Amino acid sequence: MNYITTYCHITLNNCYVNGKLTHSFNSNSIDDFTKEFYKSLILEYPKFHKMDRLAKTAFLGTEVLKKECPEILNYKDDEIAILFSNNNSSALTDVNFQTSYQNGGVPSPSLFVYTLPNILIGEIAIRNKWYGENMFTVAEHFDAEYFVNYCNVLLHKNAAAALCGWLTIDDNKIEAFLFFVTKKDFNELNLPLESKQLIELYTKN
Amino acid sequence: MITYIGLENIISPLGITAEENFNQIKQGNTSINYHRGIGFGHENIFLSKLKNTPSFYELLSQCLQAVIKGTEDELILSKDTIVIISTTKADIKENITTPIIAAIKKLTKEFQLQQQPIVISNACISGVLAMNTANNFIKAGIYKNAFVIGADVVSDFVLYGFQSLYAISDKPCQPFDKNRTGISLGEGAGGVFMSSDKNVFKSTCFEFVEGTSSNDVNHISGPSRTGEGLVRTVNNSLALAQLKPSAIDFISAHGTGTSFNDEMEAIAFSRLGMNTIPLNSLKGYFGHTLGAAGLIETAICLQSLRNNLLIKTLGFEEDGASEKINITTRNITTEVTTILKTASGFGGCNASAIIRKLK
Repeated sequence: MNYITTYCHITLNNCYVNGKLTHSFNSNSIDDFTKEFYKSLILEYPKFHKMDRLAKTAFLGTEVLKKECPEILNYKDDEIAILFSNNNSSALTDVNFQTSYQNGGVPSPSLFVYTLPNILIGEIAIRNKWYGENMFTVAEHFDAEYFVNYCNVLLHKNAAAALCGWLTIDDNKIEAFLFFVTKKDFNELNLPLESKQLIELYTKN
Repeated sequence: MITYIGLENIISPLGITAEENFNQIKQGNTSINYHRGIGFGHENIFLSKLKNTPSFYELLSQCLQAVIKGTEDELILSKDTIVIISTTKADIKENITTPIIAAIKKLTKEFQLQQQPIVISNACISGVLAMNTANNFIKAGIYKNAFVIGADVVSDFVLYGFQSLYAISDKPCQPFDKNRTGISLGEGAGGVFMSSDKNVFKSTCFEFVEGTSSNDVNHISGPSRTGEGLVRTVNNSLALAQLKPSAIDFISAHGTGTSFNDEMEAIAFSRLGMNTIPLNSLKGYFGHTLGAAGLIETAICLQSLRNNLLIKTLGFEEDGASEKINITTRNITTEVTTILKTASGFGGCNASAIIRKLK
């Protein structure tokens, strides 16, 4: 049996960990919010500021989960699979990149590298030195069954834990749901990895 | 549990079946051509483009249709069947805000799929990752059959992006060559069918032994200087397959033609002790087809297994990496049993897969 050991929701200005509000800000924009959130975590990771909104949000969520479940840091460097998903890939950065070369501008290389959604997985892998399995999928809606099935498959194969996330971001809205799946229920939340359970947690906030 | 693979299809400017494509590249023909003024700033560009400029959806659906023909008709309608799609930018030309989902909804409806397709968008390893995912689901008994289809089209968006990175070759790309200067983009689709039942293939199938992925935790747009991620994924796949590196007869590498990528791969294969195993890159024939590359190149691997013929690396003339590897400079007729397919991409991702003839 695998467990959802810890989870978080991030919306504009708020972060909930295991269902409880842990971080709250009064920013007027996504960019201000992620900046405030980052500052509050006292991380000293300047690369953060170069990331796009998708990567920043995934990065912050992962940091919050690590704090709540530090046992995750005890796994070997290639035992943690990273699975993220959303419904519009890197659409926000895609539009920004397109804008960079339209109307007389030149294509921006720093925007272009973020026009692949799996870049956020790369950012998390680099930050944590996690060499494990990576996969970004695109689905119309949060697909609990996919996460349950594929985590079970990978945890039975070459992973001991998984970092999972669903995140969609547009100009003024963030919807992020991240969770760790492990074989041991470290936080004793008693949340077995099952579709019904996962959907319940996903819709909680 | 064994996963079987076969029924490969390729849609490229060189043909609409895997056989047509194999016959063309066997003769050294490439689909990379000179296109005047199509780049940003009206630059002249070498790339591979389909004549009728099909949409992402058209490519996907045509390729899926072709693979379906090789199985029993009702399989695509089964609840035990999953369709796995691999793409990077999908329909970015026509629909920048929802480039993927609109096409997938249409595909689900048109083919009356019983399961929501899984769409993998994981840079240039998407195609290999899609097959690995199919294999994982099949071996776990979650699905019995998988149609795995990869497609990408050439767009201003992607071309201008690679131009902005100074990563487009000013000649047709030259993988692993000393004088390589970058990639040539390509478009097309590749597809395979995978199943736990070898009897549902209407032609000879092969064993998909194992596949894994690994991140090299180095840089989001620059490959690792040590090839760590590629070394790890190949080692992991070999270990799961219970094979030694010497069991591999042939490596179908990624070989994009950029200075850093090809150097990284040469270092990785050398570290793996695989530097004498014949290895090729097919980018000189098809260009870099991004999300379709892993599937197009695997389809060619299956053709190599069928024909016992290894294809030369078009564009390669002189060794150009710090480690010597055994790059094919001519077509080689030889008994081929076990093939390793690899891919590497932005975001530091690397994937590998092992395919062999049935015993």
